[in-house]
Amino acid sequence: MKKFFFKLSLQELIFLALVIAIKIILGRFSFGPTYVKVGLGFIGSVALGYFFGPVWGAVGGGISDLVSSALFGNEGGFFIGFTLTAMLAPMIYGAFFYRKPIKIWRIVAASLLVTIFVNILLNTIWLHFIYKMSFTAALTARLLKEIIVPWIQMIIIFFVLNGLQRVNERKEKLEKSRM
Amino acid sequence: MSKIIIGRFIPGDSVIHKMDSRGKLIFTFIFIFIIFLANNWQSYLVLVLACLLAIVATKINLRFFWDGIKPLLGLIFFTSFLQLFFTSGGEIYWKWGILSVSSYGVINSIYIFLRFTLIILMSTVMTLTTAPLAIADAMEWMLKPLKYLHVPVAEIALIMSIALRFVPTLFDQTIKIMNAQRSRGADFNDGGLIKRIKAVVPLLVPLFINSLEVAIDLSTAMEARGYRGSEGRSKYRVLEWSKYDLINLGYFVLLLILLLSFRSK
Repeated sequence: MKKFFFKLSLQELIFLALVIAIKIILGRFSFGPTYVKVGLGFIGSVALGYFFGPVWGAVGGGISDLVSSALFGNEGGFFIGFTLTAMLAPMIYGAFFYRKPIKIWRIVAASLLVTIFVNILLNTIWLHFIYKMSFTAALTARLLKEIIVPWIQMIIIFFVLNGLQRVNERKEKLEKSRM
Repeated sequence: MSKIIIGRFIPGDSVIHKMDSRGKLIFTFIFIFIIFLANNWQSYLVLVLACLLAIVATKINLRFFWDGIKPLLGLIFFTSFLQLFFTSGGEIYWKWGILSVSSYGVINSIYIFLRFTLIILMSTVMTLTTAPLAIADAMEWMLKPLKYLHVPVAEIALIMSIALRFVPTLFDQTIKIMNAQRSRGADFNDGGLIKRIKAVVPLLVPLFINSLEVAIDLSTAMEARGYRGSEGRSKYRVLEWSKYDLINLGYFVLLLILLLSFRSK
C-alpha cells in the first residue's frame, strides 16, 4: 500500500489541490440546450487523471467530492457511495491518459467505461440503495441522458486534452528548471 | 453560464450552530441509514417531525431550505413519478401496456419522495449551520482510521484545506479570464456545439497555467516557512466536543428508539 501511493512533491500536492478546486468550479458550470445539459465537472476528472495518474487522480476525485460537499452541500445527501464514484472516474481517465499519447480510441474507450460503470451502473445502484427506488426506475431516469451525453463529452475531452498537453509541457519545463 | 455562490454557510447562534461539526457530519451520514428503518406511515411521520424540529432549531429563514431543494425538485418529482409506474402489486387503478398504477406504486412513490426530501433537508441543515472549514476538519477527522491502511491522510488533509481555500480565488480568476477572452470576441454562450466546446479551451488553458504558477509560488512560500512534510506538526485549529453534542447524541438516540417502536415488524 505504501508503494501504491508514490510520493508527490509539495509543488505537485498543491497543484493537485488546485486542479481539485478547478474541478469543483467547473462542476458548477454546465452548457448546452436545456434538454441535454452537459456539466463540465468531468473535465476536472479528465485533468486529474491526465496529470496525476489513476492513484492520485482517484484521491483527487474523492477529495473534490468531499470539498464540494463542504462548500455547497451534497445534492442527494452525504453518502460515501458518491465519493467512491467520484474517485472512480479520474481513476479510469488516469489509466487511459496518464503519460500516454492522445489517441481517439483511448478517449472513446475511457469515456464509454466511465459512462457505463460510473454514471449508469454505480450511480444507479446508489440511488437504488439510498432511496429504495426500483432499479429499473432509477435506470430509466438516467439512461436517456447517458445515451446522448458521452458522445458530446468525447469531443470535449479531445479538445481539452490537446489544451492540457500544452499545460503539461509547461509543467515539465518548470519542474526541470526548479531542480 | 450561470452565477454561482461560494459556500452556503449562514452564521447564527442556534443550538445546532454550536454543535461540533464532527457530530453533525456523523449524524448526516447515519441519517441515510436511519431512514431505512422507516417502513410505514407512522415511522415516516416521526422522521418528518424530526426533520422539521431540526430545521426550526437552526433558526434560519425557511427560504434557504427551499433554495436547497428547489434545483432538485424536478429530479425528485421525476423519480417518484417513475417509481409510480414501475412498482406493481396491490390494487391496480390504471393499466396501459407494461405501465400500471397500483396502490403499492402510489405508496412507494410517496415514500421515495419523502426519503429524497428528508435526506436533502438534513444535509441542508448540516451545510447551512456549519462553516466549510469546520466540515473539512470533520472530514479529516473521519479519514483518520485510514492511516492504518497507509493512506497518506495528512497529505489528503493538506490538499483538502488548500483546495477549499482556493475555490473562491480560482473562481474569481475563471470569471476574469472569461471576461478577458470575451473582450477579445470569445463567445461562451452562442454558436453550435463544436464552437462552444472549442470556446472552453481558451478558458481552461490559462486557468491551469495560472494554477501551475500558484502551485510553484505557494510551495516555495511554504518551504520558506519551514514546511517539511505533514508529519510531526502541531495543530492550531482544533475541534472540541461540548455539551451541545450531547443534545445531538440524545436527539439521535431518541429518533432511533421512536423509529424502532413505530415501524411495522
